Amino acid sequence: MAAMATRLLILEDDDGLRASLRLVLEDEGYDVVEASTAERALESVAEGELDLMLVDLMLGGMDGFSFIQRARPLTDAPIVVVSARDGVEDIVTALEAGADDYVTKPFLVEEVKARLRALLRRPSISSTDEPRPGEVFVLDGSDGPLVFDRGAAVLARGEREIHLTNTEFRLLSVLAENAGRVLSRSSLLEHVWERGFFGDERIVDVHVRRLRKKLEREPSEPSTLVTVRGLGYRLDLR
Amino acid sequence: MRLVRAPGLSSAVTLAFALGALALSAVLALGTYFSARQLLLDQRERTAMRQAFSDAAMVRDNLLTSGAQVSDVLGSIAPPAGATIYVRRHGEWYSSSLDSSGQEATSRLQSVVADGSVAVGWSDVTDPHAVVVGIPLAAVDAEYYEVSVAEELDRTLKTLGLALAVCAALTTLAGALLGRAASRRLLTPLANVTEAAASVSAGDLSTRLADTTDPDLSALVGAFNNMVDALHDRIQQDARFAADVSHELRTPVTTLTTSLSFLQQAPDLSPRAAQAVQLMGGELERFRRALEDLLALGRLDAGADDPQFSEVGVRELVRQALLAGQRHGSMLLVDGQGGPDPVVEVDRPQMLRVLTNLFENADLHGGGLTGVRVLERGAFVDVHVEDRGPGVPADDKTRVFERFARAGGQKEGTGSGLGLSIVEQTVRNHHGDVWCTDRPGGGAVFVLRLPARTGVAP
Repeated sequence: MAAMATRLLILEDDDGLRASLRLVLEDEGYDVVEASTAERALESVAEGELDLMLVDLMLGGMDGFSFIQRARPLTDAPIVVVSARDGVEDIVTALEAGADDYVTKPFLVEEVKARLRALLRRPSISSTDEPRPGEVFVLDGSDGPLVFDRGAAVLARGEREIHLTNTEFRLLSVLAENAGRVLSRSSLLEHVWERGFFGDERIVDVHVRRLRKKLEREPSEPSTLVTVRGLGYRLDLR
Repeated sequence: MRLVRAPGLSSAVTLAFALGALALSAVLALGTYFSARQLLLDQRERTAMRQAFSDAAMVRDNLLTSGAQVSDVLGSIAPPAGATIYVRRHGEWYSSSLDSSGQEATSRLQSVVADGSVAVGWSDVTDPHAVVVGIPLAAVDAEYYEVSVAEELDRTLKTLGLALAVCAALTTLAGALLGRAASRRLLTPLANVTEAAASVSAGDLSTRLADTTDPDLSALVGAFNNMVDALHDRIQQDARFAADVSHELRTPVTTLTTSLSFLQQAPDLSPRAAQAVQLMGGELERFRRALEDLLALGRLDAGADDPQFSEVGVRELVRQALLAGQRHGSMLLVDGQGGPDPVVEVDRPQMLRVLTNLFENADLHGGGLTGVRVLERGAFVDVHVEDRGPGVPADDKTRVFERFARAGGQKEGTGSGLGLSIVEQTVRNHHGDVWCTDRPGGGAVFVLRLPARTGVAP
C-alpha cells in the first residue's frame, strides 16, 4: 500500500525563496502546493487535503496573521511560520492565531525540515479499538467529566467532544503521561516540538494558554493545567 | 614641545583680579602718601619758620643792645627742643650746641641768605631729616640759621607709608580671593558641562543639562542639549540603517542557503562543481551567521529582547551549552567543592547563546577551550571560560568586546566580530558583568559574573 504523499502548502510572496523551498521539500518527498498570496492559499485550504503549511507573515494583500486566523477553523494541518519578523509580539500573535511553530529568517532549510517532521509525527495510536490502560486519562472527575482518550485522540467533556489540533494533542499527551509531575518549559519544548537547546520557551506558554481554553472551566484560574512558578507546568488529575 | 603648562582659566582670572587690585591700591596708596607728605612738610616748614623768626629776632635784639659776643647771646637763649641755632658772623660759625655741623647742614641755603633773603630747606645731613631756616640779620651783619630735627614728621610718614603698604597688600589679597571666587562661580556651570559630556561619551545618551534661567548660560545649555539630541538621533539612524539592511538581507540569504542545500544533495555533480558548491557553502554559512549576529545585536540595541527570567542551575546550563556545541561535558571543571548547583535567574536561551559565543571565541581566538569553572562568590556566581591561547594583550582587554574588534594579530574572517559584543550586551541586560583576564598558567580567562538568586540562604 503506497502511502499518500504529504501535501504541503508554501505561502510565501518571495518567488526565489518559494521556488528554492519547493526544490528542497519536493526532494524530501512532500507534494508541494505553492501560493504567493493569502487569498490564493485560502482557496487551497478550502479545497482541503492539506497536511502541512509553511506560512510567511509579511505578504502583499492579506497578511499571514489573518491567513492563519481564517485557515485554522478550516483545517488541523500544522502551520509553521517562516518570517523575517522576529519580534516577540509577532511570534506570540502568530502562535495565538493558531500557528504551531515558527522559524525566523535567515533559517537553515534543515531546521524547517526538522520542524515539519516533528509536527507530523503523531504518538503511535493503538491498533485495536479497545482502550488500553494508560491511554485514557480522566482529567476532571467532577460533573460532566473531562476525559482524554489518548489512543482514540479524543478529548471530551461529558458527551461533548472538544477539538484538539495536532500540537495541542501532542502537548496534552506528554502532560498526561507525566500527570502530577512538573515539566519544565525546555523539556516540553524538546518532547513536543523536538526543538534543540535554543528554542524559545514562549512557544510553550502560548500553547499552554490555548490548551487551557479547552481544558479549564476558568482558563484565567487554571486548576487542571497549573503553572509551577519558576519550574514549568503540571497536569493535575482530579 | 611646550614644557610649561599654560595657566588654567581659574588661575588666570585670579591673577588678573590680584594684579588689578594691586595696581589700583598702589596708585591710591602712593597718591595718599605723597599728598599727605606734602601737607605735613608745608606745615612743618611753617612752624619752623615761625619759631626761627622769633628766635632770630631775639638774637638780633640781644646782639644790638649789648653789643655782646655771639657765643654769649647763644648761650643765653634756650633753643626749642630738637633745634640747633647756628649764627655766622664775619665768617665765624657759632652754634647753640656743641656740634659744629652748621656749615654742612645749611650749605644749600647759605648763598640765598648771603644775598639777603630768607630761605627754607631740608637737610638730609642729619638723621632724622631736619628743616633748615636761614634768616639774614643785616642789622648786626650776621646770618641766622635754625636747624630743627623733624623726628615726629619722619615717624608719622613712616607709619603712614607702612599703613598704606599693608592696606595695598590686603587689597591685593582680597582681589585675588575675589578673583578665585568669581572664577569658581564662573566655572561651576562648565564643571556640569564636563560631567555631562563625560557621561555622554561613556554611552549614556539620555544625559541632558538642566534648564537654566541664566541668560548667559542658557545658550550653552541649549547648544549642548541640542548636540546630544543630534548625536542620539544620528546613532539611532545608524542603528536603524544597520537593522534595515540586515532585515532586507534575510530573505535573499535564506533563498541562497536553501538553494545551496539543494545543490549539495544533488547526486550528479562533477567533483569540481562539488568543490565549488562546498566553497560557497562555507562562505554562505559565515555570511548567514554574521547576519544572525547583526540581527541579534539590533534586537538587543532596540531593547526588543527583554530577558525572560527563569531560575537555572549554572552548572547544568554550562553542561547544556557544552553539549549543544558538541563539546564534552567533562570540560566543566569542578574544584573540590561539589556542593549544590548555584542558581541564577536568567533567560535560558539568551544565556546559552552567551556561553556558546564565549566557547566559540575560545576556539577561534584562544587556541581552544580548555575548561569552564563555576565559582560561587556570595552575591554572585562567576563562570570562568579558559583557553590555551596566548592571552589577550592588556590594551585589547576591553576592546575585544567592541563590535568588529579583533585582538591584534588575529587572522581576519574567522568569526562575525560581533560574538563578544552580543555577550556583553546580553550580560548587561542580566545585571551581570563580563571581562577578560590572564590565566596564571598562560591563556586567557573570560569571566562571566551573574547575580546569584536572591532571597535564599546559601
